[in-house]
Amino acid sequence: MTPTCTVNGREHELEPGETVQRLLERLGLGARYALVERNGDPVERAAYDRVELAPGDSVVVARPVAGG
Amino acid sequence: MSDTLTIAGREFRSRLITGTGKYETFEVMRDAVVASGCEMVTVAVRRIDFDARERDADITDFLPEDILLLPNTAGCETAEEAVRVARLARAGGLPDWVKLEVIPDARHLLPDPVETLRAAEILVADGFTVLPYMLPDPVLARRLAEVGCATVMPLAAPIGTGRGLKLRDSIRMVIEEAEVPVVVDAGLGSPSHAAEAMELGADAVLVNTAIARADDPVTMARAFRLAVEAGRSGRLAGLMDEQVTAQPSSPVGGLVTQP
Repeated sequence: MTPTCTVNGREHELEPGETVQRLLERLGLGARYALVERNGDPVERAAYDRVELAPGDSVVVARPVAGG
Repeated sequence: MSDTLTIAGREFRSRLITGTGKYETFEVMRDAVVASGCEMVTVAVRRIDFDARERDADITDFLPEDILLLPNTAGCETAEEAVRVARLARAGGLPDWVKLEVIPDARHLLPDPVETLRAAEILVADGFTVLPYMLPDPVLARRLAEVGCATVMPLAAPIGTGRGLKLRDSIRMVIEEAEVPVVVDAGLGSPSHAAEAMELGADAVLVNTAIARADDPVTMARAFRLAVEAGRSGRLAGLMDEQVTAQPSSPVGGLVTQP
């Protein structure tokens, strides 16, 4: 069975060794202002290409939006 | 004469801060932000909705390069939630400045003073520059400044109401007592409201709905810019004291019609 994590509550099939950076690329957000939280902890932008996702991880991907 | 606003060591020429919410399009928002002359704008932080059609539009593509983004914690009801959002924003590359909003009350959108103070303390200790949204209360303002907030941001009237300086007397007290810049935030519905806040001695104002929801947001943004400059100049020039009785402006003697 393919290992999965959840991304914004949705199931996501992990590639072997998938990093946060690779996740964003697969989501089509590679060049975007993406803010990432993994299991409740914020992930530093500089570490996106190093932090690997594990099966069962809960990932939140957010971004700046219009607001007052 | 230079009259700059300094917040946490950063100088601003403009005393108008604008929110980016409620615009019809990002293009109109961009033009209004430019017309306002503001150097700092608020943004919210939200999960990306992968099903939404507008998922590819990125607000930061529509904002001037040199503008300071001020992430807010809108939608947070507790100190923990606000701290979590601020840390997420900073980790992802947004500035370590935060407009702290802790609002458990959906009807009036009034901030929780206890949770706001608690969150402020945590965020300041964590290295953030904290600009807290607050009810105009001079005691709370002092407490927020004591824990290291860079400003205080008392509301004029509830968010989005455009009712002007309903809490004027309390805001005056905050201004008189404050040792950090006072930014009047929320409830300003017209340029004259903004001018009034500046005449009262506010260091800056934050405006969103009144500009974004105007028939012509770009012209309204310019009107707010001028009003803030006018109110600030009026304040610096020294406003006259109000008089109870009329005082003639022309000589009382030498009347042509005197006998």
